[in-house]
Amino acid sequence: MDSLVSRYSRPAYEENEVAFRDEEQQDLELMGAAPPLSLKFAMPPIAQPSSWLRAATDDRSNPDCPIKIAHGTTTLAFRFQGGIIVATDSRATAGNWIASQTVKKVIEINSVLLGTMAGGAADCQYWLAWLGMQCRLHELRHKRRISVAAASKILANLVYNYKGMGLSMGTMCAGVTKEEGPALYYVDSDGTRLAGNLFCVGSGQTFAYGVLDAEYRYDLSDEEAVELGRRSILAATHRDAYSGGFINLYHVKEAGWVKLGFEDTNPIFWKTKLEKGEFTNVTADLN
Amino acid sequence: MDHRPQAWGRPRDDVYGAYDASFMNPNGPNQATQSPIVTGTSVVAIKFSEGVVIAADNLASYGSLARFTDVKRLRTFADSTVIGFGGDVSDMQYLDRHLTSLAIDESYSAPSLDSDAGGPPKARLNAANLHKYLAKLLYARRSKFDPLWNHLLVAGLDDDDKPFLAAADLLGTTFSAPSLATGFGSMLAQPIMRRFAPDEEAAARLTREQAVDVVKQCMKVLFYRDARSLDSYSIAVVTKDGVDLKENEKLENQSWAFAERIRGYGTQTA
Amino acid sequence: MAAMFSQNPVMNGPNYSFSDAPRTANGEFREHRFNPYSDNGGSTLAIAGADFTIVAGDTRSTSGYSINSRYTPKVFKIGGTTSSQDDATILLSVVGFAADGEALRDRLDAICKIYRYRHGKPMSVTACAKRLSTILYQKRFFPYYVHAILGGLDEEGKGAVFSYDPVGSYEREQCRAGGAAASLITPFLDNQVNFKNQYVPGSGTGHDLKEREVVPLVRRDAEILVKDAFDGAVERHIEVGDGLQMMTITKDGIEEVLLPLKRD
Repeated sequence: MDSLVSRYSRPAYEENEVAFRDEEQQDLELMGAAPPLSLKFAMPPIAQPSSWLRAATDDRSNPDCPIKIAHGTTTLAFRFQGGIIVATDSRATAGNWIASQTVKKVIEINSVLLGTMAGGAADCQYWLAWLGMQCRLHELRHKRRISVAAASKILANLVYNYKGMGLSMGTMCAGVTKEEGPALYYVDSDGTRLAGNLFCVGSGQTFAYGVLDAEYRYDLSDEEAVELGRRSILAATHRDAYSGGFINLYHVKEAGWVKLGFEDTNPIFWKTKLEKGEFTNVTADLN
Repeated sequence: MDHRPQAWGRPRDDVYGAYDASFMNPNGPNQATQSPIVTGTSVVAIKFSEGVVIAADNLASYGSLARFTDVKRLRTFADSTVIGFGGDVSDMQYLDRHLTSLAIDESYSAPSLDSDAGGPPKARLNAANLHKYLAKLLYARRSKFDPLWNHLLVAGLDDDDKPFLAAADLLGTTFSAPSLATGFGSMLAQPIMRRFAPDEEAAARLTREQAVDVVKQCMKVLFYRDARSLDSYSIAVVTKDGVDLKENEKLENQSWAFAERIRGYGTQTA
Repeated sequence: MAAMFSQNPVMNGPNYSFSDAPRTANGEFREHRFNPYSDNGGSTLAIAGADFTIVAGDTRSTSGYSINSRYTPKVFKIGGTTSSQDDATILLSVVGFAADGEALRDRLDAICKIYRYRHGKPMSVTACAKRLSTILYQKRFFPYYVHAILGGLDEEGKGAVFSYDPVGSYEREQCRAGGAAASLITPFLDNQVNFKNQYVPGSGTGHDLKEREVVPLVRRDAEILVKDAFDGAVERHIEVGDGLQMMTITKDGIEEVLLPLKRD
């Protein structure tokens, strides 16, 4: 009876704008029960949301698109006898604009798992943070760490659910577990998931592959492997305009990952040129 | 996702279809969800020492046709606020009905006469609150891709009984200034009003008579140059004492002498 | 046969010219032609110091070539106990589409207020920064057209600036400029805050040059820098001007000043 009364005593203006009230309701939900990293997304209420989203955000097809999402990268990771080397540059571009030179493109999921970031910066940050949450839940439920294979599969299945909706990410999951040893997986927003020894991802991938493939051996020493990772990223920052900034280096060892540095490319470039005699295409004469 | 280095990470045409720039076209007059059909032109308003003057002409156009010449585009709310509507007239009438039922609800829940220390009961929804409400409503509708095709000016008093004037448009964009004008008025009337009220301090020194004169002058200039305007208009003055709304004003002292000097149009050669 | 009846409205329905109906590039019908975004111009800037954070923005609001208003704030206090925001500890600046900016501000403010109510303490700026990122990402497929910058003091009392892209990727930085004149202000900031391309005088020539050591700015210098940055932007960008709203957070609270900018 009460509900009947309230149904008919609600003022007419409230009936007019149901969606207006829905939005407030949504806000309350957001603040309350729904977890912050939820799978509920606002969608444009139209028939072709992904075409619409693309029109608004694809800075390559339309340099004047209103919303420019941070993009562009070189990242690499490779397995060798001493574990896994993960190396990235640190540039984020929005169209031709360099939005940042100090992006941390290696995302620390937990003490033994790393994710790399290429493509949409927000997509990678959000979904890898979400992956971290899933990994922790797995630990709590099963009382042991999640395998890299399982973690990467959770991510791959997730992005596959959103296939065709406009996500853009190319990520590598690098980690170590007792069962698997050092393991490396490539996952991208098409839903592709590949296990492998060596991956380069991003707009500068070809340049990095060029150096990495030439010098790569599985029995590289730790020092050689780190230097090769650094040199490959350096080559990419030199030739790919969308890569640059700093070289971010991680080494995944048996006990977990260690951060090796976040180094400015410019002094490394000159050191490489002047001391090792590489990059002879560039003159050393500053005048 | 495109894996070629030069387009790495971007959507692929074979997955998403070719890039369609037309989604991001600016909102020209012929690109509407339901394009505005019967429309009202400018609304102008300016603050003065004790209140706000607001005016709009009485014309509703159908494209270039002056279709309805007696449409009132100012409406009062709770005898303390005036809302001026530019843009689509049917959406204006929808908002009008919406506000009417809101006002009825408001007047029921407002504190009764005897509970206060005399005087008429104060509406809970003053102009500032009402403006926020309308802006949120417009924003919610644009987020549904079903906009109310209007540009509103809200004139009245704020929480401290100071003059309040603010705008809200079909996208939910809001702004406030000592003088505001929508549509053509933002180009023709705003410069005139800004001469008299360049900032809040200057507006606070204007008298009611000065403000009314400025607004009347603006209506005249708009009638001279805005082809979708009319010489019959509504004007309202909002102060603490309530709303003084006149709905059938006529432009006075028009002088079309300047028309003689216009060159570059029509058949004259020199 | 069909052609015979093509003029018959009963057979074929009214003879609308459906070829004029809007279609997408793929040839499907498109039911709408509404662009829900506009750009209201303006620019914002934030600098983090050792024990303070400055968040500033110009106060002009534009639509195309028209100036809507000369005083429309872009910097907001977030998460105070009441709507007066007297005890707020976090600043948010938004630039881009103003209606989206205000919706975002209202949302974040409500969340911070509820947090304060439930936990009996204000949200830390790092927590708020993460939350803002997820709010922006909730609209990944229908983005807020805004460039947001969040400022505050971190748990150690150091100045903190977080900058965001429209869909929520974020990073803590020393300084950040956003909006219409970001490309004008950023190089100036790189040079004056992070001392990019500055070298120690007399440290040599060519490759021997030593980079100038980066030290946090003192507050007075940072404030002068902000004003200079905006004076420069006003000179060369049409959407920037009228007033400079500058808020400074220190451990004693938030101070706000409004400085004049050129109004032409």
